[in-house]
Amino acid sequence: MTNLLNDTPGTADTHAVAAPTKPVAVRARGLVKSYGTGPAAVQALDGADLDIHTGTFTAIMGPSGSGKSTLMHALAGLDVLDAGQVLIGDTDLTDLGERQRTLLRRDRFGFVFQSFNLLPALTAQENITLPLDLAGRRPDPEWMARLVDTLGLGQRLQHRPSELSGGQQQRVAVARALVTRPEIVFADEPTGNLDTRHGQALLRFLRDACDDLGQTIVMVTHDPLAAAHADRVVLLTDGRVIEEIADPTASAIADRMLQLDTEADDRPHTAASSTDTLQEG
Amino acid sequence: MLRLVLKQTMAHRGRLLLTFAAITLGVTFVVGTLVLTDTSRKVFDDQFRDASTEVDIVIRDAVAFDAAMGVEVERDPLDPQLAARTATLPGIDQAIPVVKGTGLLISDDKAIVPAGPSMLSSWTGVDGFTLREGHAPGGADQVVIDAATATAHDITLGDTVRVQADREADLRVVGLVGFGESDGLPDTTVALTSLRTAQRLLRLGDGISQIDVIAADGTATSSVAEDLRADLGADVDVAASQDTAAASAAAAKSQLGFITGALLALAGAALVIGAFLIANTFSVLVTQRTRELAVMRAAGATGRQVMTSILGEATVLGIAGAIAGTGTGLLAATGLRSLLDAAGATVPDGPTVLSARTLIVALAVGIGVTLIAAFGAARRAARISPVMAMREGALGTTGGRGRLRSGVGVAFTAAGVAALSVGGATESMPALGAGTAALVAGMVALAPMVAPAVVNLIGRGMIALTGRSVPAGLAREAARRAPRRTGATVMALALSLALVVFVSVVGASVRAALQSGFDEAITAELVVESARGEMLGGLEPTTLKKVEDLDEVGTVSPLRFGHWKDSGATRALTAFDPTTIDDVTDVDMVEGNLTDLRDGVVITERQAAERGLNVGDTLAMTFARTGTLKVPVVGLIDDDDARALSTDYLVSLASYRDWFTERVDATLLVRPSSGTSVHDAQVALEDALEGMPTVEVRDQASAAEARTASLDGILTMITAVLMLTVLIAMLGITNTLALSIIERTRELGLLRAVGMTRRQLRTMIRTESLLIAVAGLLVGTTIGVATSALFVRAIAQGGDLHLRVPTTGLALVAAVGLVVGVVGGLAPARRAARLEVLTAIRE
Repeated sequence: MTNLLNDTPGTADTHAVAAPTKPVAVRARGLVKSYGTGPAAVQALDGADLDIHTGTFTAIMGPSGSGKSTLMHALAGLDVLDAGQVLIGDTDLTDLGERQRTLLRRDRFGFVFQSFNLLPALTAQENITLPLDLAGRRPDPEWMARLVDTLGLGQRLQHRPSELSGGQQQRVAVARALVTRPEIVFADEPTGNLDTRHGQALLRFLRDACDDLGQTIVMVTHDPLAAAHADRVVLLTDGRVIEEIADPTASAIADRMLQLDTEADDRPHTAASSTDTLQEG
Repeated sequence: MLRLVLKQTMAHRGRLLLTFAAITLGVTFVVGTLVLTDTSRKVFDDQFRDASTEVDIVIRDAVAFDAAMGVEVERDPLDPQLAARTATLPGIDQAIPVVKGTGLLISDDKAIVPAGPSMLSSWTGVDGFTLREGHAPGGADQVVIDAATATAHDITLGDTVRVQADREADLRVVGLVGFGESDGLPDTTVALTSLRTAQRLLRLGDGISQIDVIAADGTATSSVAEDLRADLGADVDVAASQDTAAASAAAAKSQLGFITGALLALAGAALVIGAFLIANTFSVLVTQRTRELAVMRAAGATGRQVMTSILGEATVLGIAGAIAGTGTGLLAATGLRSLLDAAGATVPDGPTVLSARTLIVALAVGIGVTLIAAFGAARRAARISPVMAMREGALGTTGGRGRLRSGVGVAFTAAGVAALSVGGATESMPALGAGTAALVAGMVALAPMVAPAVVNLIGRGMIALTGRSVPAGLAREAARRAPRRTGATVMALALSLALVVFVSVVGASVRAALQSGFDEAITAELVVESARGEMLGGLEPTTLKKVEDLDEVGTVSPLRFGHWKDSGATRALTAFDPTTIDDVTDVDMVEGNLTDLRDGVVITERQAAERGLNVGDTLAMTFARTGTLKVPVVGLIDDDDARALSTDYLVSLASYRDWFTERVDATLLVRPSSGTSVHDAQVALEDALEGMPTVEVRDQASAAEARTASLDGILTMITAVLMLTVLIAMLGITNTLALSIIERTRELGLLRAVGMTRRQLRTMIRTESLLIAVAGLLVGTTIGVATSALFVRAIAQGGDLHLRVPTTGLALVAAVGLVVGVVGGLAPARRAARLEVLTAIRE
């Protein structure tokens, strides 16, 4: 899996800087979401704002319970918000009904989850083409071939998930996420169940997809090593975006995360963080 | 441990709901049957016990057997002098002459036709009937009837009712009687008159039916009976009235025995099909709880303890189902009674009897079936290793017994097919029965292999028809993925539908055989017969005379039926009039002919072959009136033609009069006189017989139809009951899908996340349900048609084959199967579609 998506060889270390001129793929404003009621209620999102630019690779990070998964689910139309706006192009996701959101996910988004990405009954190939099949469309054979080739799945297409290794399974999941040429790929801890070697390979592939194909990627992770592959890291605390790190390195992320964890421990839960610095781009 | 088991059961109560329903339904059926028949038995017991409270001994004409097919035989009248003589013997307080017979009550020109007998008897004052109003019948024009009939038909003291026996008379109601505590006898009308009047109505001259003896105070009944026997000789039967009551009750109850047997067999089918559902549920529960059970094991529970806990849950469930089933069974008894009633099999109603035996059976059945069904899953649970607590995924892999299972399945199936082939070729019923049982067992064992293959094929066909669709493809995959579960679900439906198909094909074929035999052999244009069941004894005594007197009637030929004993077994015979039989029938004789028959018996070719008899040999026949006679075989008749005359044994009316006391014509075969149209003759007959509501005049075609009326009623009832098993099978589909949805939550969540719409998800689940149902339909219809065809061949015994595969019946079965598929999937599909995507992914 060292060879990549097209003839232009990319390397894992070359991080393209997210140009501020790139158009916004997702614009999120004032996202609020709480779970449960009464004293047990959890404020998962508390006025989060975020822009995702086309062709960038964004990592969402934050301490446990900071709302990072909820944020991603909200952006991907998997969750319904209490308040706020999520604009995908001109479409406000929060206006859409259940069915429209489903179709949006099917046609314009791709998903990679931490585990259980594949249907055990389907072969690797059937799993890859699932969103297209659901839409009643045929895969573009060239695109399919290129994905399969790049991800090194050529020999595995007729295998069922139970016959694939963890790394292979995640690669199939990535192929599925890309097969529709989605506007955005959402990845939720995609390397969480992989060992370091396989995890790094997968991340390099996502990086290349972004660089070579201009694929917009949003990834939730708690791993600084993983986040270091992104163009920028968005840090969440208590349901708000408090900081962004452009061109992050693993050590910088790790330091900042450690800091945030310490602050979170010291800070009383009710106090709104005054240190919030919202940076754009 | 018990607390843990109870907790577990309660925790899974949602998932166990349908299983509980299946157990409850099965138990309901069993309890319903037992309550129904116990209640009816009790009615008979009470009736005959009450009837003899004061009478110690009953003297009747001696007979070789008391009853056949649930009907007490008629006895010859006794010499009236015998009563007077008996009264003078020592130790006798009273010897009361009694006349008993049948007399239809007619009030306001409307005949009162009870579901049971129309009883006509002389008044004794000691036989259990007690006056509620008025006085005992004295004069020749007086009658006492039972209070229940009087209330039901608005008859009061002073009214006139007509009593129709061999003669008929208008009598004034001078009293109303009850019977013990009740107002009458169940399903019976009672008319009590003076001895003379009863003798006149029944044309007995001064003959009497029996003598009711009351022993003098202080004498032992048994010794008095001994003395009487010694004194009166062997021509009369001296019996303690308790014994005669018991015998009467036993005769009445013997019919209940058939009904109990049939209903319990159907209940058994329901339980077997329910067992599939139970087995599936426990298998899924164990799979879902693999982790949890592994943790238990890791925490130190032994495999045996794990197994015990699962079986404990099954026991709790079985007990709950048994209790609920007992409750609903009490209600179901009423439903079954109406169902039987509609089918023409009336059973008497009384205060509901819930015996301890019923409760024990309910518990045993509920627990037993559940335990047996859950055993496989429990054993699998015991084999879960503690390591599985740590392992992600790969849950619920089944293995190990697969090879053994398929080996057993193949062996059974092969044995079944072999036995069926042999049975089919030799027309041997036992071989067919054993073959069917083996085939079913084999198919059940093979179900995990066969059913997914069938589902796959159907799925392919469906996809070919409707075009490629992901939901359909996924549904097919899902059904294939859990082969055991799918197999059990498919087989449950297949078996229940196979039963329906079987009943339908055998029924239609027997029907065709009966009708075609009648069409071919009976040439009479008109048939006069009783509108009531054959058991309740044919035509009114005056019918033949009235028909003979009509100018429009050219020939009338009566048929009578009788029972005889064939070294223990009860058989039926038909008596006919040799002088007229050729005018009204056209039968093929293999040897001899019917017109020459005087003494002797004509038997069917088949009976001759089976018994190794030929013309000139003798057949030992035991008649109640005469004892065993050596009757010469004088002719052989074609099997199918004999069937048109209802039995395999034909005798002349003259012989019948010698051998039977009964004088009831069952059927009159009538040809119009020359120059009279069939229609005119029918109108004339109907006019002449107008006052006899139990007599029907039918043309040849509708008489042929009527031949199968009781069969139709029974078939309809059986089919209705079998629908219950289909319902359980449908619950099985719903249950399997509901459980599999729980199991596949994450998978469904993933599908929804990557873009499957709710509608597509619903379609997927519904398709899965439909696939299972269609597979069950195919397998069930195949088994049903194949086995029933072989059975019909065996029934035909080399005679004309009347195999009928009723298209309407099969279409109905197919429709039912599809409905089951559609309806069975509704609830799970709705439930699946309601899953929140996020919750499902996160699970």
